[in-house]
Amino acid sequence: MIPQAFDYSAPQTLEEALGLLASGAKPLSGGMSLIPMMKLRLAAPDHLVDLRGLKELNYIREDNGTLRIGAGATHYTVESSALVRAKCPLLAETASHIGDVQVRNMGTIGGSVAHADPSADYPAALQALEAKLVLKGAKSERTVSIDDFLVDTFTTSIEPGEIIIEVIVPASGPQCSYEKVVQPASGFAIVGIAAQLNKSNGKISYARIGVTGLSNRAYRASAAEKALEGTTGSAQDISAAAALVADGVDANSDLFASAEYRRHLTIVHAARALRSALA
Amino acid sequence: MKISGTTTLPVPPERAYQMMQDPEILAKAIPGCESLENIGPDEYRMKMKMALASFSGAFDGKVKITEQSPPTSFRLAVEGSGRIGFMKGDGLLKLTPIESGTEISYEGDVQIGGTIAAVGQRMIDATAKMMIKRFFEKLAA
Repeated sequence: MIPQAFDYSAPQTLEEALGLLASGAKPLSGGMSLIPMMKLRLAAPDHLVDLRGLKELNYIREDNGTLRIGAGATHYTVESSALVRAKCPLLAETASHIGDVQVRNMGTIGGSVAHADPSADYPAALQALEAKLVLKGAKSERTVSIDDFLVDTFTTSIEPGEIIIEVIVPASGPQCSYEKVVQPASGFAIVGIAAQLNKSNGKISYARIGVTGLSNRAYRASAAEKALEGTTGSAQDISAAAALVADGVDANSDLFASAEYRRHLTIVHAARALRSALA
Repeated sequence: MKISGTTTLPVPPERAYQMMQDPEILAKAIPGCESLENIGPDEYRMKMKMALASFSGAFDGKVKITEQSPPTSFRLAVEGSGRIGFMKGDGLLKLTPIESGTEISYEGDVQIGGTIAAVGQRMIDATAKMMIKRFFEKLAA
């Protein structure tokens, strides 16, 4: 349980951090995934750059119909922020489901998203919110959609030397829900479904559904969204839409849940998420 | 754990079969493969390095091809061990001609043990699928 020796830098500015990362060092944020891997010696980075001292990555602010969340915001900060709860309740609710209280106090939104664990909670909500990520390197800055960012299991479109500095989500209404089947040992989602809806004048005018845990990466269930939009959101409408959430998806299987069972859980819990969003 | 699936290659079965027996091509297509050295008939010693998320580790292993019946099927066995654990996979690959080239269906068993399996059980399936996908993508490239 003792990691291999490594160098450690704790820069105070983003510029300094990006300079160090450009030379091949590994970024450390909350350390909730990386540190356990290092203690088991499954990971042995030579040089860690601790991003936790970067005050410029720790903010949540409203900007022209969006929320901009600094990558260093912990899950607890997002979960408890009055601004996020009021302007993007889906994200606050999702954050409250991550791991346990210790993990939520240490883990950060940027670290979690960059890790791209296929069972992480945030990606479901970020897909449903069509979030954007700002990536910055020593000499570059670009904005990518969450869908383009998540490539495959633990694989993202981030370039060496780049880190996520900001997560941008649209200000969104209260008709939302995150439903998760939790793996009790790890706290990760066996499956997790995030729904963001808008129902006005008796019709669902807008539906976004993000799914995590089922397959190699979190995705948007577009067929289910289309099936739901334009309906009144009756019990039949919800069942019909939920039945489509796992369509065409190559489901994962492990000791805890077979592919077939995961698929079933996804459909059942998607219906619950839709019902609860409309309740 | 059982692994199965199908994929396609844009070349006829004869060529696809030949590619998958060619150590130089295999070395390029197997994700993380650093070297493949012939140690016997259709048997190779392989060094590979895997890096995934914060995991990384070197594996030392073997690749063996048996039950050859060109150009329709063969059996591929891969095993490797390293400081972070071991893996062993064995599968039957079947090649069928289709209009756009060859359809390859595979069915096999993968076993993973050691530290990596103890802590990474829930990731094994997704990781194995990704490696197979990358293998065929590189083979097609």
